[in-house]
Amino acid sequence: MIEPFVDRSVAERILISIAAILLSIAVGFAIVLVSGRIAECSTAAWTMPVTGLGFCYDPFEVYVVLFNGALGYPFAVGEPGIFNPSWTPFNLSLGLTLSETTLLIFTGLSVAVAFRAGLFNIGTQGQLVVGALATALTVLALAPLLPAGPISGVVIVAVGTLAGAVGGGLWGAIPGALKAYADANEVITTIMLNFVAANVAYVLVLEVFRAEGSSVVATRYVPEYAQFSPWLFPDSSDFALLALLVGVGAIGGLYYLVEHTPFGYDLRTSGVQAAAAEYGGVNAKLTTVRAMTLSGALGGVGGAVWVLMSEGRWIESVPDLGFDGITVSILAGNNPLGVLPAAFLFGILKGGALEIGFRTDVPTELVGVLRGLIILFVAMPEFFRMAGRYAGLGSDGPGGPGTTGNDDGSEGADDGTDTKGTAGDGTGSAAAVDGGELDA
Amino acid sequence: MRNPLADVPVPLLDDLIDDEYVRSLVVGVVGTLGVLGLLGLLFPGSVAGDLAGIVFSTGTAASTARLAAPIVLAGLGGIFAEKSGVINIGLEGLLIISAFASVYIASVIGIGNAVLGVPAIWIGFLAGIVASTLLAGVFGVVCIEFKADQIIAGLAVWLIALGLAPFMSTVFFGGVNTPNLGASVGWRYSAVMVLVATVASWWTLNRTAFGKHLQASGENPKALDTVGVSVSRVRYAGVLLSGVLSGVGGSALALSIGQFVGSGETMVQGKGFIAIVAYLFGNYNPLGTLGAGVLFAGLDATQIRLQQLGYAIPDTLVQTIPYVVVIVVLALVGRTRIPAAAGDHYETEE
Repeated sequence: MIEPFVDRSVAERILISIAAILLSIAVGFAIVLVSGRIAECSTAAWTMPVTGLGFCYDPFEVYVVLFNGALGYPFAVGEPGIFNPSWTPFNLSLGLTLSETTLLIFTGLSVAVAFRAGLFNIGTQGQLVVGALATALTVLALAPLLPAGPISGVVIVAVGTLAGAVGGGLWGAIPGALKAYADANEVITTIMLNFVAANVAYVLVLEVFRAEGSSVVATRYVPEYAQFSPWLFPDSSDFALLALLVGVGAIGGLYYLVEHTPFGYDLRTSGVQAAAAEYGGVNAKLTTVRAMTLSGALGGVGGAVWVLMSEGRWIESVPDLGFDGITVSILAGNNPLGVLPAAFLFGILKGGALEIGFRTDVPTELVGVLRGLIILFVAMPEFFRMAGRYAGLGSDGPGGPGTTGNDDGSEGADDGTDTKGTAGDGTGSAAAVDGGELDA
Repeated sequence: MRNPLADVPVPLLDDLIDDEYVRSLVVGVVGTLGVLGLLGLLFPGSVAGDLAGIVFSTGTAASTARLAAPIVLAGLGGIFAEKSGVINIGLEGLLIISAFASVYIASVIGIGNAVLGVPAIWIGFLAGIVASTLLAGVFGVVCIEFKADQIIAGLAVWLIALGLAPFMSTVFFGGVNTPNLGASVGWRYSAVMVLVATVASWWTLNRTAFGKHLQASGENPKALDTVGVSVSRVRYAGVLLSGVLSGVGGSALALSIGQFVGSGETMVQGKGFIAIVAYLFGNYNPLGTLGAGVLFAGLDATQIRLQQLGYAIPDTLVQTIPYVVVIVVLALVGRTRIPAAAGDHYETEE
């Protein structure tokens, strides 16, 4: 199950990720167009050139608002000049985007580290829920014992984050141990444990830890000084630069751990070929438990940051950060270094969704569709290889028809005929670049 | 560990189920219900009496049938896909898309209208099946033709449906929840469909050549290829059948109340994942899947009624039981063995 992600070159992964993003944007474009035709509205938002057909939604505007809006409109649209003169980097929209990015770095790393050990951790969501609750309860218990102030704030944030890591780590260790010692499939157990975590945490807060007089199921707010404080960015953006820096530090640390330490070696070898790793002296069972614990701990830290940076308390409506972490990790090719751009892209999608809601009539659920499409396309590298071969052979794209390997071409000729041809046309240029560079 | 329930002689069951594990499951459930009924008769005023009254009431049977339909039907679909060698973790997505499509088409035609003599609600039902089968077809192409990772593609199917259904609902109806159709499909239809599908699935899997091909495609595709049967074709059939069955389940779910609810996790609320649980719990046996699905749905239905009688059990905890059961079963008892070649691509050698 995991091999396709391990034995592929970095350049190819990056190309496939970019092609997947472009293709899902193209499909999303078509969806907006079709639904804009079906929906009812009094005035058309966009009229198709030549045909004169009116559409309720403007597919160009959607993407402009999505990407430009997520950054706080740095680019001027419809006005002279390329850049918006009044733009500053410390605006609300970019803050929201970076806030999502920060959270997704942790959940993305969580999924990625498990992947490298050959484990598919779908349970990051549950680990995040448990970690977040552990953080909230620890901080609420600790805060009255220390004098209010910035110094105890630092202590509380550190201890709270550690509590999140421990909570998430223990929750992640369960499927790890079940996999290692009872041979229970981690995909199934982590999905189940997500539901268990969500339900048990909900009941615990509902029955025991609920804030008095709260209309929603939530704990009390942690004190203001015991949260990550928002430097430079507006308070309402729920973004703390410090948390992002911690996230970037975690990326570097994890990269070093996976690539340059004995533990990382155990992790990677048991991910590629467990039996061979065992033969080479790696304790595969223990490595499995450790990898899942580490993965869970990262998810738990994500939960801690969610509580201490975004929400200020544990609340029942936990966002799908764990599931988005899967997308981030897959898009990043399960490489810790790739998690940063992938998390930023998803931060943009999340932040841009809010702007779509403000500025256009297009339902913000579009972003959810794009998320699914990106995963789908990243999961099928073979499609892009076929499309690349097909485009490299059949058109005079940048790769050039004759220069690319002919053995690939002949293979592509007999299976690159029907469905791939039509789908491939959507990203003709991307696919052609793809094919060209792959063969080079 | 010797399983004591495996030795209880039950003549009819022995013919239908050759699997010791599923057999003991069935005997266990029937036994528990029997003890509960007996206790209820002996002590009518107690908790056991109330519980027995609930478990054996028609109201509970009705809501069990309604809740079990998506679980059992998607579970049966999951068996076909996984037996053929394609792990379909996107059952949840198939349920979501069919639930929405059925309500959407029924409302487009208009309740009360009919096309070719077929009432709108049943056209909607068919539309749900078509939508689910199409999405399953996409999943099949992605997995079989483009050799995608099945788990990731399955997740994508779920996430696409989770985004697309509320998106479309907002486009057409102005909100993630559709208005109520004002008509619904009765629970008896759901119950009949579940039973028919279970028996038909059992027959197909155990008594037909296609069933043997499915088995071989998941266990030893090379052998199947050697005797001249196309592995891809069998796998496409398995995946499409999972789409058809999940479509029936999703349509039955939405049309049994006449509305699609798209907020949060949508009205499907993890039933597709419970379906996976149900067929694993039933060890890939349709009858076991039926039993597990009815058990989980029955727990939920009983819990709802218990709340109404004033027993303060947090409903969320009761809903957690199936998940915990599965983890325990996977870890201790069942160790359900997935088909040997499930999750792997098969390259035809020519």
